[in-house]
Amino acid sequence: MMAGAPHLSAAVGSEAGGFRVLTSLDGNLRVEAWGYWPSEVIHAFGIDAAAAAQTLTPSSMFVFDSKELKPQGTEGQEALRVLFRVLARLPFAKGTIVRGNAMTCMQLSRLLRECNADKRVEFADAQ
Amino acid sequence: MGAAEDEVTQVIYRFYDALEDLLRARGTAPMDEIWHHTDYATTSHPFGSWARGWTEVKVNWEEGAAVFAIYSGHNQRSDRIGGIHDLKVVVVGDAAYGTGIYRSKLYMSDGELNLRLNCTNIVHRINGVWKIVHHHADQAPPDWQAAIGRMVEAGHS
Repeated sequence: MMAGAPHLSAAVGSEAGGFRVLTSLDGNLRVEAWGYWPSEVIHAFGIDAAAAAQTLTPSSMFVFDSKELKPQGTEGQEALRVLFRVLARLPFAKGTIVRGNAMTCMQLSRLLRECNADKRVEFADAQ
Repeated sequence: MGAAEDEVTQVIYRFYDALEDLLRARGTAPMDEIWHHTDYATTSHPFGSWARGWTEVKVNWEEGAAVFAIYSGHNQRSDRIGGIHDLKVVVVGDAAYGTGIYRSKLYMSDGELNLRLNCTNIVHRINGVWKIVHHHADQAPPDWQAAIGRMVEAGHS
């Protein structure tokens, strides 16, 4: 959960596929993603999520909530890699991926490994 | 068995041949070919949720191929990873379905990993061509899913 006063970005996309970014004053970041992303969501995610991740500090907690996310196509995977490459080189206290669809979990696990970010985050079941 | 039943049976066997190719890193082209690429195509896998529409279905098979690209237990083997058994086909006009049992065996570094699942495939005849429009496999037991998950996280089988 987000400590501090959370700032909720507007959701990008639709019920069928999208994401939103939540930041808190104490530097924590939560990204929620769902569905299968169309091209406009992919483009926005590649910019917005990576930019939000740049604000992480050594005391920050990062959560990527993927429990409603479906496996993504080639372009969607590249947008996720953009975020994971940022995570791989940033200092933050703890990273968590909330898992749902097992196939999505495997895709994220593979992408994290490809981006050398697999040691920076751990998977957790939805509460 | 009538001609239509025989055609549908062959399509379903070709589907599992395509799955075998996919699992053995021989590409997804045969899997692409065996499906009608329609908005009503649907699939669910032993470790996945529903994919609806050809775009999502295709992505699911591609991810399955990516998952198994790191599986090496069959590299030196000639036996199949898996196949469909006890296949029963019913044809009603231009639609048909087949029910069967998919059995597979993977050779992991810590031992054999066996799977036995009920499966249903729906086949549709469009312009005289029978192809898959729906595939459903039971969810695999948690220990099987966990073993595949460990393979993906480790990057090797």
